[in-house]
Amino acid sequence: MQVPRKKRHSIARGRSRAKRNKGTKNSAMLDLYAVKTQIDEMVADERHAQQDYREKLEIAVREYRRWSPEWQRLAEKIARSRTSWLMPGLVEALDGPSALPARPEQISIAATDGSQIFPDRHEISSCFLINIGYILLHYGTGEKPLMSSKPSLYYREDEVFEDWGGRRIFVNRELVGAKRGLMEFTELADLALAAQEMGHRVLAFSDGTLIQWSLEGKPQDFKQYFLKATMKGFDKLAAAGIPIIGYISQPGSQELVNALKLGLCPQQAADCDRCPWRKENQLGLDATEKEGLDEQLWRGRVPCSPVEGINDAVLLRQILEPGQRTPVYRSSSKILEEYGPHWIYFFYVHVGQEIGRVEIPQWVAEDKEMLALVHACICDQAEKGQGYPVALSEAHERAVVRGADRETFYRFLRDTFVKNDIRANISTKSFKKRHAGI
Amino acid sequence: MSTVEEKKSNPLSRFMGDEANAVSAWDAEKTHVGEIVESSTTELVAEAPQLHGAPSFGQFVRVDSEMPIIGIVFNVFTHSIEPNRRPTAYGKTEDELRMEQPQIFELLRTEFQALVIGYIDDIGPAQVLPPYPARIHSFVHLCSDEEVRAFTRTDDYLRSILNTSKIPTDELLIAALRQTMRAHEGAHAYLVRMGKELSRLLGDDYDRLSSIIRRAAY
Repeated sequence: MQVPRKKRHSIARGRSRAKRNKGTKNSAMLDLYAVKTQIDEMVADERHAQQDYREKLEIAVREYRRWSPEWQRLAEKIARSRTSWLMPGLVEALDGPSALPARPEQISIAATDGSQIFPDRHEISSCFLINIGYILLHYGTGEKPLMSSKPSLYYREDEVFEDWGGRRIFVNRELVGAKRGLMEFTELADLALAAQEMGHRVLAFSDGTLIQWSLEGKPQDFKQYFLKATMKGFDKLAAAGIPIIGYISQPGSQELVNALKLGLCPQQAADCDRCPWRKENQLGLDATEKEGLDEQLWRGRVPCSPVEGINDAVLLRQILEPGQRTPVYRSSSKILEEYGPHWIYFFYVHVGQEIGRVEIPQWVAEDKEMLALVHACICDQAEKGQGYPVALSEAHERAVVRGADRETFYRFLRDTFVKNDIRANISTKSFKKRHAGI
Repeated sequence: MSTVEEKKSNPLSRFMGDEANAVSAWDAEKTHVGEIVESSTTELVAEAPQLHGAPSFGQFVRVDSEMPIIGIVFNVFTHSIEPNRRPTAYGKTEDELRMEQPQIFELLRTEFQALVIGYIDDIGPAQVLPPYPARIHSFVHLCSDEEVRAFTRTDDYLRSILNTSKIPTDELLIAALRQTMRAHEGAHAYLVRMGKELSRLLGDDYDRLSSIIRRAAY
């Protein structure tokens, strides 16, 4: 007997919770039996979701093809509408994949990545460490690559306390993460410039997005400090003519799908806050008006919902062939208003194993030659790295601080403190973690 | 000195590891073929400064120290420097790989093992195990012909080779003999002495003796 999906789900949840409590009675660790039951339930739900998903995907592909010849009309609608979602700026086209250009025989790829040991107040000292991995690979020359890493330890008063927005705060994970992200970027710019100075034609690869959206809503001085340093890096790269790209593997972004959602909206100019299909916006309408609106619903949901839940990568997997890229789109993130001449554009590319998202500043997007170079190099890098740019994965390997390294670091620290007779203490929680008694 | 200054002016040097900078400053006068990474009284493991740059099987090596230690290379191996990363087949020649996958050569190391057969003190070469093992990070050099000749004035080291169990003993013996014969420039007196010593060591195992001599003289 088929139980309605929603119902099944709630029954399943209730049962699993009861089991979870019972199952823990004689095991201190993860109760695998309880987990397995929940996994089975999850898979059953997932299968239902997938059928729904396939249908949504077909609709998305159809819509993408439908809008391609009249992408300008869609672009105009985007400009007219007020949505709560991030929209792509359609500047060239919507569809129309570009074939893979050839990579120049001699090219160098610079990449950086960072990793850290977060400050731990349960430890002997509240210092933190940032490790940056540097990669400079030369192709077509046989020259020895540069592969290294540099750790920096931060421990001084002015390093572990920071003043932002009139408040003095002890560094936390977020701040260390932001600092690391900035270092990755500025060090990448410097590495690429140094490589160019040595006579190499170079491209700079950054891991992840170039859009510092996380700065939105941060204290003004904090935001300005990070933006200023980032822009300085962009300025130097632009002046030197070194293309920089941010590569995002398995992107979850939905800008293109959002544009299709807008395309599905029956209104001339959408305004999501006043969406007439939402019950809360239907006050004061008579029965016939309501009926008319209800007819436009998709399975009882608002008219833009058929492509809800699909992301750009899933859609483009159906469109792009290996090596092909989409046209370039303009990002509409609010933070980019502070980027000056370095507004970020993006495209998706089928690198062989997956659809990746490539972000580039405006001056790369507008230079046909640089754009072709970026396209060729990203595919070449992904091919060399069996699906993921080899320079980025090597940078990660250099940067990564593993659990064992962290242990060694704190052991060093403790030993050195003791040898030098410096008073320090570690929290009882930390002590308990190491020596759990019975 | 000029090379050090040159390196400093390299804008990339800031991004290189400290060891890389130190090594490049050394480049000019570097003559070692290995650096000790594991050491015991009877055996050494050394890392070659370059990939595939180890001395050959059977070569005599000397470890720098107050009492230089003499060893014979009995195993050379190349492996990944990262325990969880293994080399995989790319279907390309080494030249192609150097052009298009340059990073892999940075992730491989060549190391070699040497059997300790003696040392040199104030009096001269001694064919007994040294009182102390070689120190970790000491440099390993190839023995010159002259050093090999001096060390092989007596033949007790042959017994050391024959007495070890974990290595292909006969093969090592043959390789070592070929090295020493070259150092002695094939001197007739040396060949005769070797033959006599071997026949004494191998007792009545005539087949083994003739196989060794035949292959060493080949």
